[in-house]
Amino acid sequence: MEAALSRYAVNSVLYRLKKDPEFRARFAADPAAAIVDLDLTADERAAFVARDMRRINELGGYLHLVLSIPGLGVQAGRR
Amino acid sequence: MGRIVFAGAMSHVLDPDYYERVCGAMGRRKTEEAMAAIAAMGGRLSATRPDALVVVADDHLNAFSFNCVPAMCVRTGREVQRMRQDHAEAFDAVLEHMPTTYPLHEGLANAILEQGAAAGFDLALSWEAPVDHAFLAPVNTLHGTRPIPPLVPIWINCFVAPQPTARRCFAFGQHIARVVARSDCNVGIIATGGLSHFPELSVARIGETDSVFDGRLIHWMERGEHEPLQELGADELHKTGSHEFLNWMVLLGAVSPARADVRYFGELPRINLAAVEWRLP
Repeated sequence: MEAALSRYAVNSVLYRLKKDPEFRARFAADPAAAIVDLDLTADERAAFVARDMRRINELGGYLHLVLSIPGLGVQAGRR
Repeated sequence: MGRIVFAGAMSHVLDPDYYERVCGAMGRRKTEEAMAAIAAMGGRLSATRPDALVVVADDHLNAFSFNCVPAMCVRTGREVQRMRQDHAEAFDAVLEHMPTTYPLHEGLANAILEQGAAAGFDLALSWEAPVDHAFLAPVNTLHGTRPIPPLVPIWINCFVAPQPTARRCFAFGQHIARVVARSDCNVGIIATGGLSHFPELSVARIGETDSVFDGRLIHWMERGEHEPLQELGADELHKTGSHEFLNWMVLLGAVSPARADVRYFGELPRINLAAVEWRLP
């Protein structure tokens, strides 16, 4: 269950980034501040602050969210 | 007595621009070839003058998010809306030029739900969930400028573990066939997604496909051998990037033991594009 709970935390942030333009704008301006109150591990927080979508995927972020967040997804999708 | 008058399955990112960006000129060419094959299938679908079109596809964490991930969900109501996404990119962008609203066949949707409860299928239902490219790219490619019949969108949870089993999806398709047979409707059914791509849903493995595995699936579908397909395990589907084949399993249950004809198969570095049609009695 631990993995599932962690997966939820990461993916709930990804989902908000995709669907909530206001949250996405705050994240784009200052990622660390945008997620300061969210329940993430140190690894997860570092990956988001670095906008490292590959690492976020390794930490359980769903691929289709990672690929399709406006302004962030394309970085992971280029190949 | 109602009957299934058309059955087809196809890839669902039908966007030449997208595949040109990620695979180059070959990506555009093969996507256009696949879309031409699907459009030809659509001509045969329309010729059957279906009363309804059942569309079995998956949600890409657009309609349901994390408040609820239903294993199987039937969309009911009078109409369904296209998913809205601001600044859409990747596979979401293909939606932007499509109509926003589509009619639903509420009677057939409700029959699948109500008879499901009596037959051991406790299905989720939705009056509000929108549909994304997995539904609308195939539906619009099939129909072009022709009218789209009332839809019955059905979501299968292909991505968020634990998913329903291949055998359960097949059984659900058999249930759909029984409901159609008891109705007075001529029904088309399509399943979308695949074939192999995005193994293990891993960014690191984007660009890998499994043509050998796809060949096995096609071999069994062409011969109407559906028992080995029902034995496919979640781990096998995950490792080969065949998550969306669960949608195809629903269709197979609905038409078994019909045999499939491959209308298109095209290998790209990103995905193996496919379009398949079943020979119905």
